[in-house]
Amino acid sequence: MIEFYPQIKFVHVAAVILSGSLFALRGLLMLARSRFSNHPALRYLSYAIDTTLLTAALMLVTIVHQYPFVQGWLTVKVLLLVAYIVLGTLALKRGRTRAAQVTCYFAALLVFAFIASVALAHNPWGVFAARFS
Amino acid sequence: MSTSRRLWIALALLLGSTFSVLLWMGSEIHRTEPPMPERVVSADGQTLFTREDIEQGRIVWQSIGGQQLGTVWGHGALVAPDWSADWLHREATGLLDLWAQNDHGGAFDKLDAGTQESLKARLREELRKNTYTPATGTLEVSADRALAISNVAAHYVSLFGNDLATQQLRETYAMRNNSVDTLEHRDQLAKFFFWTAWATVTNRPDASVSYTNNWPYEPLVGNTPAPSTFLWSVFSVLFMTAGIGLLAWHYAVWQRQEPHLTPPATDPLRGITITPSMRATAKYFWVVLALLLTQILLGAITAHYQVEGQKFYGFDISQIFPYSLTRTWHTELAVLWIATAWLATGLYIGPAVSGHEPKFQRLGVNVLWVCLLIIVIGAFTGQWFAVMQKLGLKYNFWFGHQGWEYVDLGRFWQMFLFVGLLLWLVLVGRALWPALRRKDDLASIIGLLFLSTVAIALFYGAGLMWGERTSLSMVEYWRWWVVHLWVEGFFEVFAVAVISFLFVKLGLVRARTATVNVLFATFVFMAGGVLGTFHHLYFTGTTTAVIALGASFSALEVVPLALIGMEAYETWAHSRATKWMERYRWPIMFFLAVSFWNLVGAGLFGFLINTPLALYYMQGLNLTPLHGHTALFGVYGMLGLGLMLFCLRGLKPDVQWNEGHLRGAFWALNIGLSLMALLTLLPLGILQLNAVLEHGYWYGRSAEFMSQPLIHLLIWMRVPGDTIFAAGALLICWFVARMWIAPRRVVAEYSSEPALSHG
Repeated sequence: MIEFYPQIKFVHVAAVILSGSLFALRGLLMLARSRFSNHPALRYLSYAIDTTLLTAALMLVTIVHQYPFVQGWLTVKVLLLVAYIVLGTLALKRGRTRAAQVTCYFAALLVFAFIASVALAHNPWGVFAARFS
Repeated sequence: MSTSRRLWIALALLLGSTFSVLLWMGSEIHRTEPPMPERVVSADGQTLFTREDIEQGRIVWQSIGGQQLGTVWGHGALVAPDWSADWLHREATGLLDLWAQNDHGGAFDKLDAGTQESLKARLREELRKNTYTPATGTLEVSADRALAISNVAAHYVSLFGNDLATQQLRETYAMRNNSVDTLEHRDQLAKFFFWTAWATVTNRPDASVSYTNNWPYEPLVGNTPAPSTFLWSVFSVLFMTAGIGLLAWHYAVWQRQEPHLTPPATDPLRGITITPSMRATAKYFWVVLALLLTQILLGAITAHYQVEGQKFYGFDISQIFPYSLTRTWHTELAVLWIATAWLATGLYIGPAVSGHEPKFQRLGVNVLWVCLLIIVIGAFTGQWFAVMQKLGLKYNFWFGHQGWEYVDLGRFWQMFLFVGLLLWLVLVGRALWPALRRKDDLASIIGLLFLSTVAIALFYGAGLMWGERTSLSMVEYWRWWVVHLWVEGFFEVFAVAVISFLFVKLGLVRARTATVNVLFATFVFMAGGVLGTFHHLYFTGTTTAVIALGASFSALEVVPLALIGMEAYETWAHSRATKWMERYRWPIMFFLAVSFWNLVGAGLFGFLINTPLALYYMQGLNLTPLHGHTALFGVYGMLGLGLMLFCLRGLKPDVQWNEGHLRGAFWALNIGLSLMALLTLLPLGILQLNAVLEHGYWYGRSAEFMSQPLIHLLIWMRVPGDTIFAAGALLICWFVARMWIAPRRVVAEYSSEPALSHG
């Protein structure tokens, strides 16, 4: 499978960008009080992208033999992914008040950006790697 | 004489004649099965090994999971090789190399084409000639062959131990280190593999085909399709086409005679009394869902073994739950949870039909439930001890792992399950009894429902017909009684009868019409189904007659599936008949999915591998699980879920269903299953088929082929479909859980509004 490593990584990164962009877009629609933020087409597109992202991630894990809960940076990614999903759901669907939705939206974006920095740095501290590690 | 009476007589005659042929052929299979030699001797008279070694090797093979790790004669798991084909190829190439070295002083590959062909001709003569003497029970092999056998056996002794030389192979084959505990057992296992390979290449006495009808395809040794394989493939297509034509004609004539029926104004099932025993079936459905989730998890682990060998995302899982074990549990659970859903439906329907709650019925339902739990936990524990080689061979057959795919339970647990099924029959029978005695319009359909419960209970008994040392051919014969006749046959009759019965009770179909339809459907289904059992037995040491009967009758099984669209349309029309049918929208959607997968999974993907010629090349490739998953889950799984939803509607009449959850679950399960089939199993199977056609069967299952990056990539393509599928299963579990945990109650009753449409 190592033969396909560049392609799989490309798919993974592309899916990350698409997933994040779609969430940002849906959040903007939510901010604009548009009912399209939870339009079925956008939701299904999001499921499709995230499933692709997950598949590529699992493939990469077995190709490079680095695993969550073994390598720190992957552990942080998985844990923050959970936080991102919870915040994202609160922002787009389950937030009880508008203030909560807006807060969760920006928090989710921050978490997303931090996960990306962890991935780029291969370091659990991500963008703060130089300072803490 | 009424139509239904005529159909009853026809059905009785059909079942009488087909079962007579089935049993008679069983005795023929026994008479002509590949012989088990008392001794295998070399030309100089030296005994190489004995019958006891081979039979003991087979018990070792069963203890490690048997058909759940690789295949023998094409039956079983897909990751490791077919051991008979693998042995055959290794022995053949070993002999060629030996002769090339001895006679020509070089490797076989380096010889010129003419010399190679002459050695191949010598090889065919050496391997195909039947040197077994029945009178003495002696199988004689040449000194060269004895050496080749010894070399191949050494390879297997290494492979099933923890030798570093074969570590890479073990990883590719998803085998745990030390799969077999002792050197002696590994050696005996190898002797058993020799015998299975010997039967595949040795011509039957006075014939030019081997005991397994020349399966597997191995041009090197002259194993190519027998003429009968081609002949009956062609004729089977002919029979199928004729059958479809006849059935279409029948429908055309029959449909016009059916006047329209106005559905009742309100849901007739709303008024039924939920008795204590009916209420007690709820926990069966909780178990169904728990087993389904476990089965999916085990399926994911089993599939993952194909890419990481012995690990699960870095964790060395093969030392705790080896591949053969996860696959055993995965396949067993498929049958167990589906059967549990149906058992529960039977228990729920019984008192609902008759309006009679027999004494101690609830107690019986609860006892049976506890028994089922004990069987699942007890049998699975025994299998773990067996596969981990902690049980020993003495008790393996009774309490460990029998090694036969789908009927792997130890004999004790099998018998326990059989007793459980008899208890179920008694419980359903006594609840149905008052309805059976009423000679009203429904008598026939209830009679058929009852007969299918009798058949479901008794036919599992076929799984008790073999012993620890019964010949492989006969075990396969009885095993398919269970897997084909029990699962595919009588479950189907039960399903057709129960769905039709429900529609009658809902007032959407006349009882008389439903009775005739169900009897006719059962006749058509059983016309192909009973003798269609043989299509699993083409290459299991049987004769041409099995190919002829199996091909012809199993092709007829496709006939009702080809026209299933008509039934599906009728089901859909029922769902639109009145407003109150919205209550049953999702059970009916699952029934529609049953029709869809009956056509695609059972009909198309089933027929893809059905003809003898197709199966000759395709058996044991990924095209088999393509049919397996789409037919077993697609048809029976979906039906189990549909029946569950139907019963839950009655069990919790006042709970408002979360349509969103059900919609999500339904589509996720269907889309997930489709993706699994289209992104992985079908393309992978086609690539394997191409490899088999080009190089011989062994190559399509070899480590060389299966460890290619493209193959791994295709296996990874299961993740999207499987993820969506698992999400669907979680959603339906959540949906059911919410019926008990903080449910939302219905606020408005369904009124007696006129029908929305008549479809």
